[in-house]
Amino acid sequence: MSGMQFGIFTVGDVTADPTTGRTPTEAERIRDTVAIALKAEEVGLDVFATGEHHNPPFVPSSPTTLLGFIAAMTERIILSTSTTLITTNDPVKIAEDFSVLQHLAGGRTDVMLGRGNTGPVYPWFGQDIRQAIPLTVEHYGLLRRLWREEVVDWEGKLRGPLQSFTLAPRPLDGIPPFVWHGSIRTPEIAELAAYYGDGFFANHIFWPASHTRTMVELYRKRFEHYGHGAPEAAIVGLGGQVFVRPSSQDAVRDFRPYFDNAPVYGHGPSLEEFTSLTPLTVGSPQQVIEKTLGFREYAGDYQRQLFLVDHAGLPLKTVLEQLDLLGEEVVPVLRKEFAVGRSPGAPDAPTHRSMLRAREAGAGPGEGGGPEQGPDEAPDGGTPRGAG
Amino acid sequence: MTTTIAIITGGLREPSSTRLLADRLEASVRTRLTAAGDMVDSSFVELRPLGRAIIDAMLSGFPTEPLEEAYGTVGGADGVIAVTPAFNASFSGLFKSFFDVLPEDTLADMPVLIGATGGTERHSLVLEHALRPMFSYLHAIVSPRGVYAATDDFGTRDSGAALGERIDRAAADYARLVQGCGPRIRRDSLTEEVAAMERLLQGDP
Repeated sequence: MSGMQFGIFTVGDVTADPTTGRTPTEAERIRDTVAIALKAEEVGLDVFATGEHHNPPFVPSSPTTLLGFIAAMTERIILSTSTTLITTNDPVKIAEDFSVLQHLAGGRTDVMLGRGNTGPVYPWFGQDIRQAIPLTVEHYGLLRRLWREEVVDWEGKLRGPLQSFTLAPRPLDGIPPFVWHGSIRTPEIAELAAYYGDGFFANHIFWPASHTRTMVELYRKRFEHYGHGAPEAAIVGLGGQVFVRPSSQDAVRDFRPYFDNAPVYGHGPSLEEFTSLTPLTVGSPQQVIEKTLGFREYAGDYQRQLFLVDHAGLPLKTVLEQLDLLGEEVVPVLRKEFAVGRSPGAPDAPTHRSMLRAREAGAGPGEGGGPEQGPDEAPDGGTPRGAG
Repeated sequence: MTTTIAIITGGLREPSSTRLLADRLEASVRTRLTAAGDMVDSSFVELRPLGRAIIDAMLSGFPTEPLEEAYGTVGGADGVIAVTPAFNASFSGLFKSFFDVLPEDTLADMPVLIGATGGTERHSLVLEHALRPMFSYLHAIVSPRGVYAATDDFGTRDSGAALGERIDRAAADYARLVQGCGPRIRRDSLTEEVAAMERLLQGDP
């Protein structure tokens, strides 16, 4: 075992297939998403993560509903998000939703928190995007306490106070879901993850490697600064984006219309330019393997690799073919190759079970890091620096 | 002391009167700074070859290599000379687009000398109603005297001499401004953002 998790993350966009002009209904897109998650488990992937959006053309506005449904139909795969909006969601509701999900899924869940960068969404939830960073800090500080303390008295600036609040249900086995902080661009998020000793997930997709290197290095350095362990003990996840066919010519031919019309980057750089600048790989399984193995050259030995495979109007059949190739030909090789030369100081990807084991072994409350890690904070949820 | 000047020029044709004006501004500024005892190291950023890269950056959100190099040239300079052709009563779209994708704060506290070219003198206020407000918005320190050159200015000997005088006067102002500002301290926004976040996390916003 390489100690790494491999999986997929979906944005949940409803986009017309540019080759047929056909747009799936919302119902189809949601059913397809479930089929994709089930397939991910079937082919041996470790993680399925869904985005959260509150405006068309996206469908996943209620991630734990979706993940709860998938949890009932799966046995092994870890259910996560990409990302859960810590700004516009109430932290109490996040704590409740993920607590229930944890119990339903038998601990097969973690959460990736993000800010959300769509200004108009904020007021729909009574918030203001200009407060995004302070909201993130305050809401997350509260969320941590809700998951860790039996009775919470809390007062902040941006949310009403809580008195004698007890989260129900309590987290499974008393262990909160592992938290990743997802970031596309901002160093603040790397700092937040480092401060608490949580995982840092670099979206990676929309930026050249140099940017991801800077962010991951910053996170690792600050992780050490805050006393959570050596830089290599930090928990890093990376996004990626692949389109794979048995032959690279077929991959390029089949993917080009989707790339050229993709809502996010279409009509800009060519497929070839985008491929050379970003993690996007369009090619054979071997090409995906080579490019993905290269990520650790600038991210170090890391814990989680998620691929985006189902956006820009790709039909379900094509997405499932992607998953077949990932499961059969790509991920098994990646597991083996990433294990070669992996630093002994690089922790395995944290899971509910590993955190439980770590706690039983007396290695602290078990959150905020891998099993290699010592106690990282006081039980009151304060940090090593004493802020709370 | 070496003063680094980046000259951003948005001319589209070859040869370009915009580049011609940029060359003359650069030469005049160089003369002034050299006379004051500075070494001058200037680099030109021509926008035309970056046209596609600029639009790509706008659409994809990140710069390709030649554009990133241009960001470095501009951000690392002690002063900027920016010259655009006047199109439809404003700067050219390409010129504006470059500043639209240029990372935030690149021009903060940057001494900038503005210049523009056009078919007739009637567009000369483009300096004041288009360039100056944009650079002010970007927190640059815009030199009080800009230079506008119309086709006629490049024509006869008399008008050419008048243009030469305007260039020299503007360059003199600008050279004093650059010297007054001194070597530019580049802001490290990454470190600043992280430090602000640390304060926030520790309850000390």
